[in-house]
Amino acid sequence: MQKKKHLSIGDEGHLSDLRRGQRCLVLDFHNDNAALRRRLLDMGITKGVIIEIKKIAPLGDPVDISLRGYELCLRKADMASIDIKVVA
Amino acid sequence: MIIALVGNQNSGKTTLFNALTGSNQKIGNWPGVTIEKKEGIIKGTDIKVVDLPGIYSLSPYSDDEEVSRKFCFEEKPDLIIDIIDATSLERSLYLTTQLLETDIDVIIALNMEDILTEYGVSIKNDLLSQKLGASIVSISAKKGTGIKDLIDLIKNKKYEHNHHIKIYPSDIEDVIADNAAHFMKNQEFKRFSAVKVIEHDKEYKVLITPKSEENNAILKEKYQMDGEQLIADQRYKFIERLKKECLTITPRPESITDKLDKIFLNKFAAIPIFIVIMALVYILSVGVIGGLTVNIIDMLFNGASVLTLDFFGLSWDFSVNVVGLGPWLSGLILNAGGSEWVASLVGDGIIGGVGAVCNFVPQIMMLFSCLAILETTGYMSRISFFLDRVFHKFGLSGKSLIPFIVGSGCSVPAIMSCRAIEDKDERHLSILLTPFIPCNAKLPIIALFASFFFGPSAWFASFSLYVFAIVIILLSGFILKHLFYKGHSSTFISELPAYKLPSFKYVTRDVKDKTLAFIKRAGTIILVCSVIVWFLASFTWSFQYVDGENILIQNSMLAGIGNVFAWFFYIMLGGNWSWAASVSAIQGLVAKEQVISSMTVIAGLADTAEEASIFTSGVFSFFTPWSAYAFMVFNLFSAPCFGAIGAMRKELGSVKAMFKAVGFQIGVAWFLASIIGAIGWLIAL
Repeated sequence: MQKKKHLSIGDEGHLSDLRRGQRCLVLDFHNDNAALRRRLLDMGITKGVIIEIKKIAPLGDPVDISLRGYELCLRKADMASIDIKVVA
Repeated sequence: MIIALVGNQNSGKTTLFNALTGSNQKIGNWPGVTIEKKEGIIKGTDIKVVDLPGIYSLSPYSDDEEVSRKFCFEEKPDLIIDIIDATSLERSLYLTTQLLETDIDVIIALNMEDILTEYGVSIKNDLLSQKLGASIVSISAKKGTGIKDLIDLIKNKKYEHNHHIKIYPSDIEDVIADNAAHFMKNQEFKRFSAVKVIEHDKEYKVLITPKSEENNAILKEKYQMDGEQLIADQRYKFIERLKKECLTITPRPESITDKLDKIFLNKFAAIPIFIVIMALVYILSVGVIGGLTVNIIDMLFNGASVLTLDFFGLSWDFSVNVVGLGPWLSGLILNAGGSEWVASLVGDGIIGGVGAVCNFVPQIMMLFSCLAILETTGYMSRISFFLDRVFHKFGLSGKSLIPFIVGSGCSVPAIMSCRAIEDKDERHLSILLTPFIPCNAKLPIIALFASFFFGPSAWFASFSLYVFAIVIILLSGFILKHLFYKGHSSTFISELPAYKLPSFKYVTRDVKDKTLAFIKRAGTIILVCSVIVWFLASFTWSFQYVDGENILIQNSMLAGIGNVFAWFFYIMLGGNWSWAASVSAIQGLVAKEQVISSMTVIAGLADTAEEASIFTSGVFSFFTPWSAYAFMVFNLFSAPCFGAIGAMRKELGSVKAMFKAVGFQIGVAWFLASIIGAIGWLIAL
């Protein structure tokens, strides 16, 4: 995983690259783990959904994200499989 | 009639279950408290309700979630009550759309409606009900509002029957109809299965036909995504439309939960706060409450002429002259002409053994009050959130924290709660390492040794053992992960529940249950074992009574048994051959607090002097702070009691895995304790 620092509005990258308070649009998944992919879909992480980074654990991982009016905690390794575009 | 309660985790299913049935199941403020289905009867009816573990979808990931899916598909309830957390409507309705594809009727219970205003949300129930084609009842499971309406609706059977609303675009609906038309007549849940065929769910492989594959290819071409993604996407699209029509949201200021998380999850402050909170818990329970109460209870059981109360190194002596239950009963028996051995059985065996563990009841109550408060406020979930990073490195999950916390009460439910951990390896490691957490039965061992050998810093010695336990758990996890579970990636999906004020009802219930269980053990297992230990320690192999003058306790049967095992404990006890400590430690297999009961009984028999404490007694006077700490460590890490070993066998799935686990635990315990004991031994040379 290439670590890009400071994605700004309009940039594309992975969900794991964002900082607290940033919002993004989900573009696609790339994922070998079928069960995880299914779980992420079930939790509402579908193409076009808006995700905001709400809280980051004190040690930098996992991350609490907000989408579809609720919040969810994910590990950064799993977030790296989600392609996004920064919107705010 | 059978009703299933289905809903997301932490949506209030168990609260509703308790409200419906009048029962008193455990409720927590974290996802996944219910790990097995529970049955009850709705008050005043013959309708059976089943509370199921929380799920987000009908294609579940962890074993406890599988319980819910299986129940709906195999037991076929007559009705599903789908509990929806109104504060996270979108995600909750996702499951609803799946339930509505089965052939079971669904009533939607819109929970937590009362706090919606706080969230700035209002829902048009009637419109939502019409769009979903299902009856909706607004309830607050916690406050008990709307429950009567729900029960009436079920009893009158006036709820809407499941008529399979169409939620997908017409081309997808056509494919569903086409797939379903090709099924055998007796295919169950036709609509649901037809959707599964589009998703290419491997459980429904047999239903795939060339025609369905052709249909799928067309859909894939048109929507540019595979079936699984397409269905999830369309479900959410439908829900988004519903939300637009039925929901109004007014922006709200930052919630209290978010504000508190800025402190409790702060990059720099979070871990110091966590350490301070946990240290406070042990200072309060072992330090303050322990120091103030241990001697009082001991006085009641065994009598005292001076009562000492400790408070952080300060201590007060009171002249009391209380006879105590044990000596009083012994005296009574002797006066009535009873023989000396009967008096000893009652005084030293029964009262001595049972009293030894009852001394710790107030500390246990305090510890569990603190932990229950941390649970019910939602702070425990934060700990699990920020420890995941650390735990994950060592082959565990942040969710392992739950069994570890539950394990500070009892390993048996703790080992069972490991089911909520999705990943198999992380789950197995958690089951294996959960017994390393000092359970309430180990607390007496720790508290007794710590208070005698470490005095005013007893709380620190106790706390250090908990820290030590965590360090060993992480180290073991790390080593085992790299030895046996190589190259494996796992996932962690969880939620941070909103902070709540501690619920008095929850805390008292939790503490009451755990304390009663502890006292019950004292009155049953510990009592029986104490009598057996008394018997073995009071008679020789030729059944001569050990009177302490002509025949010494060193000649008793118990000493004989202990001598067989004493080599095993030789190093950790700093080079001391002690049958008494060995035979006591082995009894930890029956119940951990039995170690203390056994030591008390043996010390009571070995020393006839009035008010001799365990460690001034000849058989145990060899203990130094080093060997005391080593002995504590051994009892902390060695194989848990038979109850917990049984739970390990069940959750690990095989006797072989269980023996491996127990062998590992004993090995770790012996190794660590022997190192500590050896250091003390060398220093003393």
